[in-house]
Amino acid sequence: MGIMLSFQEVTKIYPGAEHIKAVDSLSFNLKEGEICTLVGPSGCGKTTAMKMVNRLIPITSGKILIDDQNINRMDTIELRRSIGYVIQNIGLFPNMTIGENIATIPKLKGWDHDRITEKTESLLELINLPPGEFMDRYPKELSGGQQQRIGVARAMAVDPPIMLMDEPFGAIDPINREHLQDEFLKIQEKVKKTIVFVTHDIDEAIKMGDKICLLKDGKLVQFASPEELLTQPVNEFVKDFVGGDRTLKRLNLLKVKAAMSPAPPVVMKDESPEKAKSMLGELKADHLFVVDNENRLMGYVDKEALSKKADEVGDVTRSTDAFLPASSSLKDGLSEIFTHDLGYIIVVDEDKKVLGILTEDGIKEILRK
Amino acid sequence: MQIRLFYPFIKKFGVMAATAIIVILLYQYYGALEYTTKNLSEFFRLTLEHFFLVIVSMATAASIGVSLGIIMTRKGFERFGSAIMAIVNVWQSVPSLGVIALAYAFLPLVGLSGIGVVPALVALFFHAVAPIVRNTVAGIQSVSKDVIEAATGMGMTPNQILFRIEIPNALPVIMGGIRTATAIIVGSAPLACLIGGGGLGFWIFTGIALMDMGIMMAGAVPVALIAMLFDALLARLERIVVSEGIQSGEYQEA
Repeated sequence: MGIMLSFQEVTKIYPGAEHIKAVDSLSFNLKEGEICTLVGPSGCGKTTAMKMVNRLIPITSGKILIDDQNINRMDTIELRRSIGYVIQNIGLFPNMTIGENIATIPKLKGWDHDRITEKTESLLELINLPPGEFMDRYPKELSGGQQQRIGVARAMAVDPPIMLMDEPFGAIDPINREHLQDEFLKIQEKVKKTIVFVTHDIDEAIKMGDKICLLKDGKLVQFASPEELLTQPVNEFVKDFVGGDRTLKRLNLLKVKAAMSPAPPVVMKDESPEKAKSMLGELKADHLFVVDNENRLMGYVDKEALSKKADEVGDVTRSTDAFLPASSSLKDGLSEIFTHDLGYIIVVDEDKKVLGILTEDGIKEILRK
Repeated sequence: MQIRLFYPFIKKFGVMAATAIIVILLYQYYGALEYTTKNLSEFFRLTLEHFFLVIVSMATAASIGVSLGIIMTRKGFERFGSAIMAIVNVWQSVPSLGVIALAYAFLPLVGLSGIGVVPALVALFFHAVAPIVRNTVAGIQSVSKDVIEAATGMGMTPNQILFRIEIPNALPVIMGGIRTATAIIVGSAPLACLIGGGGLGFWIFTGIALMDMGIMMAGAVPVALIAMLFDALLARLERIVVSEGIQSGEYQEA
């Protein structure tokens, strides 16, 4: 996919502070559909860099291109309307209903009534707030998390290809923040916007970013994928900023799927117990997992269970919760392994079909890479 | 226990009713009612004049005051803001009678008559404009910076921000200023008759001069009623024009 947003030697010097470069010849390219998190200690220029994209802050030198067009050559108002903007303190218009808030820019663009209603409703559905219930309510009646979701919906009202998000979840309590992050990533899978996301929280940057742009004193220190930032920090500053637990952070980032080994032999539920016993003997294992005809995990049998009288393995199967979906993070996987103390855990897909197993060695292996 | 349920009603209507009864009794006792019925056509003329003074000075003060307030919050004008505010505040500290006297004294210098309706209107206007300007500025400044930043970042023009965001959100405060100004105007309007501006003040001052409580009350009671009427009307108007999203709780009428 093509390059959507390009910073080329962008520098910002604020009048009255000529000796400080708030942003110092920053260059990077962002592909269409990517989230780039701008992260760094406070005063590193991340917010300044973001606000230059919609020209809330004028560029001192260098240029920013959107779709190969220099933003300084575009009409400011048109430029801003083609970029979604979400800020930390949300900034919903208190005098307008939720519906009116979302419809602000469509209205100014002269959309007709039906199109506006349709768009507003579909956006509310996208953010999981039923339109019938929320359309005519006012911002003051909503919780912080709901308000921020409206803020995101409002920013997407005219389907801008690019979105700027300035610590959008910064003012939300930790539990809701996690929830909103997950929800937003799901939305992003559908809408595929090119997003510049400012945060001071490295964990958030790693979680949300396809690319991380780590800044210090206005200068770009490292521009890399989260994985690369964690495994190949370019200097001590990056190492410190990422934190001593960067290996554990990778566990959060990597998915179970990546570290999975092939599934061990399983037994069908309609096999005879004798067959299962002999399998146990061959494998020198103390238990076997049982699946149904469609390879869905049912549970396990051990010697004790098999010693009971039964026609089929399925009759003596014990249920288990020692499994997890392949889309989970390795951190959850490791935790499950410790919880069940089996040395491994079964990996399943959404239908509970067995895909493989995750072992401690598998995790170590992938972390070594 | 039961009576507690009625406390809010007693508080709201009881005091009003008691006041009304006392006023009506006094009105009757001092012969104000008799005086009014005897001079009914004069009563209507004075009331009309009074309404004219209040409405015209009010409308001018509101339109000019709000405009001035808005201009003072525009980019580039902020530095004039504090200067204008200082003048406006000093002006407001001059007592009503002083403003009327000043109008009488100074208007001739600019070629206008110091006597009649015009100087009365000018005086009332100047006296009422201060709280409107002040509240307009305060109201617009109180609109959250985040809201303005969001609006700007979304691509609203300064004018769109002013009319769709700043003014609607400042309206409760602006309306508060207009109500204060109305109270001042209605309260000062009787003084207009001192420089020939007419109005119900004529009976009040005649009553005082003749030491006749009846005539005085025949002027004073309608003036009080007009004051309450305007405040109630403005409260109603406020509830209509201010968005539900920023209305807070109950509104006080009267």
